[in-house]
Amino acid sequence: MGSEAQLPKWASEPCIMGIDEAGRGPVLGPMVYGCLYCAQSYQKTLSSLNFADSKTLKEEKREELFENLKTDESIGWAVDIIDPRELSAKMLKKNKINLNEISHESAMGLVAKVLNMGIFLTEVYVDTVGDAEKYKEKLSGRFPAVKFVVAKKADSLYPVVSGASIVAKVTRDRALREWILDETAENMHKNFGSGYPGDPETKAWLEHHKHMVFGFPSLVRFSWGTCTPYIKELAEVLWESDKMDEDSSCGKKQMKLIRFGVTTSKRKSEEIESSGKGHCKFFQARKLERLTHF
Amino acid sequence: MEKKGTTQGSINFKGQVADLSGEVHLLPCAVKYDGPSSVSDYFKPKSTRLEVEGLSVKEAHFRGRKLQGATISIPDGYSGFVVGKKNLGKQKDANSSEENLNCWEMNAKFKNITYWNHDNLPSQDDAFLCSFHWLSVAKSLHKPVAAEDLGSASIALGKMEEGTKKEKK
Repeated sequence: MGSEAQLPKWASEPCIMGIDEAGRGPVLGPMVYGCLYCAQSYQKTLSSLNFADSKTLKEEKREELFENLKTDESIGWAVDIIDPRELSAKMLKKNKINLNEISHESAMGLVAKVLNMGIFLTEVYVDTVGDAEKYKEKLSGRFPAVKFVVAKKADSLYPVVSGASIVAKVTRDRALREWILDETAENMHKNFGSGYPGDPETKAWLEHHKHMVFGFPSLVRFSWGTCTPYIKELAEVLWESDKMDEDSSCGKKQMKLIRFGVTTSKRKSEEIESSGKGHCKFFQARKLERLTHF
Repeated sequence: MEKKGTTQGSINFKGQVADLSGEVHLLPCAVKYDGPSSVSDYFKPKSTRLEVEGLSVKEAHFRGRKLQGATISIPDGYSGFVVGKKNLGKQKDANSSEENLNCWEMNAKFKNITYWNHDNLPSQDDAFLCSFHWLSVAKSLHKPVAAEDLGSASIALGKMEEGTKKEKK
């Protein structure tokens, strides 16, 4: 999503861009990366538009500013909405990707997108994620022609980043307001509060929406530490990828999965994956085992 | 059950049962839960346009993890069954004989199954798919041997031996 109409007249002038994120901390909903760009010559006017760090503004004010900047022909913007399912899946992959990496990739995706549109970006201001110096190196390595300014609290220091933070925050709030739960179980509702782990409304919502087998609706970021105490109360689920972790760390507890076998009363369920042990390679590779008892 | 060797059992395949085709899933994890669950409210596989090695890839999420899978038909001449113990109530009866313990009956059947990988795309190399190779191997192994099969086999063997001799030279 973004301002995707015609290439603005000022695209070939030296341009600046700000990048900021919304919804990095909450246990639910998408994380949104937003960017805002304009010609360097427009910078002064931009400073007069009263953009401030989106968190210090009231929701109505943010909405108003977003609507205004959308109609401003001297400003361009774009967002990257990262679905909570994608966040969970990446962070729970066999080769886990952490939130910083996901954030960096998203920001770099926005830079690439704007450059590809034909905007002559010379300076990009980014709110830091992780170590600012390393992040800057990563960005400069990928886009050598662009000068990057990576700073803490960039959203309150540079109006162009404040603008980006409004784009991101309004987009996330709208996405949550309009969110349609994928799950069709009864008694579900959307009063999940801010989504921040400390919010009592969020806690109550999590408690109400946990499910013995499936955990939570997919709006929830399963990979968040906030979920851990709830998940402990649910049916235990053992994954092959976790098994590998355990094997490499302590190697004590062997987890095995049910595959082509049937639970016997004698053997415990986690021991019954057919291994084909003691048989020729043909059976081992296919995890086939002869079963004399059910 | 601990006794080795001669225990006998039976599975009763008579009668009409529910057809679960399209609803049987094999997950790459062990869920330590037995019992009914509102699967269709939570588990929503979606077809992707992706096709890999002749398998059309499906996508789903379970407990925050991304699963990629494919639906496989049970080969012709075979069927999938859900079997359960007969007379579950009597099982704990001290008088029940071993014979009773090993009597099973069919609760449902299915003609296809969707198997899922965590992270990896489904592939013809997946152990689950390969396990079906056994069906054709078993068929060949147990097929009665005719006289002409023996004849052609010995010719083939002769050729092989010749081949190895040549290599040695």
